[in-house]
Amino acid sequence: MSSVIAIESPKIDIRNLNFYYNKSLEPALENINMPIPDKRVTALIGPSGCGKTTLLRCLNRMHDLYPGIKYEGEIIFDNTNILSKSTDLIVLRSRIGMVFQKPTPFPMSIFENVAFGLRLMGINNKTELKDRVEAAIKMAALWDEVGNRLNENAFSLSGGQQQRLVIARAIAVNPEVLLFDEPTSALDPISTAKIEELIIELKKRMAIVIVTHNMQQAARIGDYTAFMYLGKLIEFDKTETIFTNPKEKLTEDYITGRFG
Amino acid sequence: MENVRIKSRVLKSNVIMILSTLAALYGIVFLGWILVSIIYHGYEYLNLDFFTKDPVPPGMPGVGGLRMAFIGQFIITTIAAFIGTPIGIMAGIFLAEYGRGTWWAMFIRNLADIVISMPAIVIGAAVYVVLVAPLQSFNGLSGSVALSILSLPYITVATDEMLKLVPKEMREAAYALGAYKHYVIKKVTMRVAKTGILTGVILGLARMAGEAAPLLFTSFNNDHTTFNLLKPMATLTITIFIYATGPYHEWHEQAWAAGFVLTLGVLVAVIIAKYLVHGGSFTAPFMYVARRITKINKG
Amino acid sequence: MIELKDSGAISPVSSMKRNGKVGNTLFKIAAFTAAALIPLVVITIFVVLFIEAYPAIKVFGVWHFITSKSWDAVNNHFGAFTPLFGSIYVTIWAFIFAAPISIGVAIFITELAPHWLKPIVTTAIELLAAIPTVIYGMWGLFVLAPFMQNHVEPWILNHLATLPIIGFLFNGPGIGIDTFTTAVILSIMITPFMSSLIKDAFSLVPEVVKESAYGLGATRWEAIRKVVMPYVSSGIFGAGIFAIGRALGETMAVSFVNGNNHNPGSFLDMLSLLNSVTTITVTLADEFTEAESHLYLSALFYIALILLVISFSTLAVAKFIVWRLERRWKT
Repeated sequence: MSSVIAIESPKIDIRNLNFYYNKSLEPALENINMPIPDKRVTALIGPSGCGKTTLLRCLNRMHDLYPGIKYEGEIIFDNTNILSKSTDLIVLRSRIGMVFQKPTPFPMSIFENVAFGLRLMGINNKTELKDRVEAAIKMAALWDEVGNRLNENAFSLSGGQQQRLVIARAIAVNPEVLLFDEPTSALDPISTAKIEELIIELKKRMAIVIVTHNMQQAARIGDYTAFMYLGKLIEFDKTETIFTNPKEKLTEDYITGRFG
Repeated sequence: MENVRIKSRVLKSNVIMILSTLAALYGIVFLGWILVSIIYHGYEYLNLDFFTKDPVPPGMPGVGGLRMAFIGQFIITTIAAFIGTPIGIMAGIFLAEYGRGTWWAMFIRNLADIVISMPAIVIGAAVYVVLVAPLQSFNGLSGSVALSILSLPYITVATDEMLKLVPKEMREAAYALGAYKHYVIKKVTMRVAKTGILTGVILGLARMAGEAAPLLFTSFNNDHTTFNLLKPMATLTITIFIYATGPYHEWHEQAWAAGFVLTLGVLVAVIIAKYLVHGGSFTAPFMYVARRITKINKG
Repeated sequence: MIELKDSGAISPVSSMKRNGKVGNTLFKIAAFTAAALIPLVVITIFVVLFIEAYPAIKVFGVWHFITSKSWDAVNNHFGAFTPLFGSIYVTIWAFIFAAPISIGVAIFITELAPHWLKPIVTTAIELLAAIPTVIYGMWGLFVLAPFMQNHVEPWILNHLATLPIIGFLFNGPGIGIDTFTTAVILSIMITPFMSSLIKDAFSLVPEVVKESAYGLGATRWEAIRKVVMPYVSSGIFGAGIFAIGRALGETMAVSFVNGNNHNPGSFLDMLSLLNSVTTITVTLADEFTEAESHLYLSALFYIALILLVISFSTLAVAKFIVWRLERRWKT
């Protein structure tokens, strides 16, 4: 009883995914089948606890940081199943970046924050670092605000600036996919608008998946939208279709606010 | 009737509040009393000789100083710090970063909580067997080892607790960039927890420097300045113990003077630690333990 | 729309050499080794003490050793009853003196002190906790013991020793070097720890919880006794256990004023506050370096082992009790 449209040559293809936080418990995600299109924004929506963040964190295998979890099924990225044991998580995570709900600047300078991932990749040449950091900060539309104080501590920035700094840090390594986990829920409306513009700009270069609890946000920036409920994918379609002509009753109830 | 009942309840409450105030006063009176005693008895011998000369044998002219104790205390404490700090910090890192949810980390963690109040003199006795008896001589090195064992669980617990306070988003953000675990620990989590851990270390060292019991059977005492780690080595704490229980008035006064310097040193360390972390206190790591005693730590 | 400034510079990162896999493993091994050292050291201490104590264990057994009062170096007969009893007895009194004071100090700091006074009292208490224990001992010997001898204990001998039933607690020479002074010194030493820990526990109680108690018309004491204390009872329990652990194992603060008396007379005399006994730590400190015979030294290791077992099991049992209680609540 789910309705999922097909996408031509998706960047990531999720196939029959089940996910368990604890092997003995019920699955947190059940039989998810969904493509992630390249160079588009895919929004994940649904009520709290529906599994949208859980799904997002499967895509860069963030769950592996914690013991006792189990995946079943496949997530195909670049023709390989990233759920297989042989996946190098270090490489995977540098190709699939992530931005969190709360801004997570590291306790170091603005420059070093953006350089963090680059240094991980073995870039130690000063000029190359400087160029790449500058490009990433410009890309994140933060250069005008911080260009002249790159050596200050990152915590001196405002919340919205911190979040854009974290985005700059994520895109500095040129990931192919960028995951956003409710990136604006801790921000004011003006900062939110800036982040949304930035996301729309970024989708020219990479696939973007964003979890949001805000349906208007999904409608504003999502090219595709997936509606999830109780660990299952109910409907995946073009955002327009989801919000104007959903195929599933549950989706309709949710977006019209008649839910529960 | 109801009025009388309320009055008696309020009276009871007020009496207890007054008693509490007196309790606080009692604590401060003792602190003042001890500090005043130390200053009153100790200032007389605080001159250059006290720090730069070895003691003159009783009965000979002059009193000399306690140079051997200052140098010995410095050497023994420093070496103990160099042994105990890295091991304690690494053990704390292991518990907080690698051992989450495993039974052996749970075991080590609870063990560290328990041995943080292991009797110091017992550590001294055990180190005596391993490092003193075979060498047939008390020696400074064994004193350092005994003190480092004393500080080890303290620093481990402080590190473990401070790392646990690091928000998990911070770690995840670093992993999400494709970082290896050791890199995340060194560059991100340890940096976040830095000041807290430093405070724990300073306080652990302060506690170590003030503890004499493990040194009684290890470094013991020496009338002369020595830099030889395999020979008996004097420390301020042991010198205070021996001088204060000795028969000479000058010894008593010198013990007070040594107590003055030792107390000042430890108090300065505590104040620095307090300055580093707002609200950091000498009892902070004990507080974690007290909280942890009341539960089995699963990690 | 944001204009793309110089977007071309973000190019794919070609170098994927990613140093660090080896460092990663080495770091983990180092951390594991450090952590493994803790049980290793603890086990070593137990084993070493047991081996050294074994000759005495063989000669005196366990039950005989801990019940015999004879500590006779000349005839090579050793029984640990006196120091064992002394350690526990002194700790009990120190705890009795320290517990109400500590709760009082914690109440004062969290509930009563005006804003400006709080940090001063808190710092004072913490400084008291930081003073090296050897200083407490020396101060006890030179200041407190004479004070007790000249001012406090004569009064006790005149007024309390003659009381019916509890009079035996106050019989003795009253020379200041006795159980009473020892317990007072120990209580001064553990009070800052306990009050600091209880204060920290109190401060964990959310303001709303207290406010709702006041909202029902509770007095300050009722709010503390009925709401705050039950809320953090496990924290207070932990503070108490912790203080007891420290008092049991303390050497320096007690060795100056305890008297190290292995022949305190009858059991009733041992109970008197104005009499001196000895403790395990004091016996060790005073006799370890002077023990002539092999068996004597072995007996000293034996009491060290007993002290370690007591201290260890006190904390372990406390942990276990709370663990069991928590499990019962959960299921």
